Amino acid sequence: MDFMEVEGKTIEEAIKKTCKEFNLPEEKLNIEVLSNGSSGLFGFMGMKKAKIRASLKEIKGEDKLVFAKRSLEEILVRLKVTATVDAEQIDDKILLNINGDGSGLLIGRRGRTLDALQHIVDKIVNRSSEDRKRIVIDTEGYRERRIESLKSLALKLGEKVKKIGKPVFITPLNAHDRRIIHMTLQNDDQLRTRSKGDGTLRKVVISTKRGHGINNPH
Amino acid sequence: MKNLIKYIAEALVDNPDEVVVSEVEGERTSVIELKVAKEDLGKVIGKQGRTARAMRTILSAASTKIKKRSVLEILE
Repeated sequence: MDFMEVEGKTIEEAIKKTCKEFNLPEEKLNIEVLSNGSSGLFGFMGMKKAKIRASLKEIKGEDKLVFAKRSLEEILVRLKVTATVDAEQIDDKILLNINGDGSGLLIGRRGRTLDALQHIVDKIVNRSSEDRKRIVIDTEGYRERRIESLKSLALKLGEKVKKIGKPVFITPLNAHDRRIIHMTLQNDDQLRTRSKGDGTLRKVVISTKRGHGINNPH
Repeated sequence: MKNLIKYIAEALVDNPDEVVVSEVEGERTSVIELKVAKEDLGKVIGKQGRTARAMRTILSAASTKIKKRSVLEILE
């Protein structure tokens, strides 16, 4: 990650400068001494400056929350979107809520843009594998709305399957969305749901359970 | 556009100094070329190209806003 090289008369001075630059205490930095420096003859002849290289230590817990928020803000600025971000942590999940202009630009078709932002911020924050935090990005209450519409889709298609007695496929969905379909119908003892296909094309099939087909209702 | 990809790529890789982004602007379409250190290629592409796809999605959202089209090319 980011590192910087700093010079000073002594190593101590260089470290002090660095802490000021990063605005962090010394414990949060990795410091590598590149040159010890020497005061030289009479304090000026042959004087060599001390040089260190400093980088940020592993980002953890609370720091990850701040880091996640900042990463998303940096991306939004470059997207030329004026928005603020609220961040909160629940267990090992970091929730980032974007207060934007409500144009839906950040959501995209079926939440594609929001999911893309979420994936990128997740990759940035969890670049080192330890202490993984799940990132959830939301805006304008989209996630909640999406869950509701998937639930009603599942129920509607469930009824259809019962009526026509044939399996019905839903267009490819991501893992999170598929899970909602499965969960919604899991307590319906007439239906069963399965996921079929690979990668981005994986989709849910809703079918009747054996013995509940059209030829044998109940 | 270029700054957006540059920021994201630098944040994803282990060698941010080796990230090079260039933009060839056309009248309606601009092509953004991303070059990273060989060992970081996997980081910007991701499992089954997921990270690359996410970058392209964000890029196209940004382009829609200025009524243009942008294409991201990851150079090997």
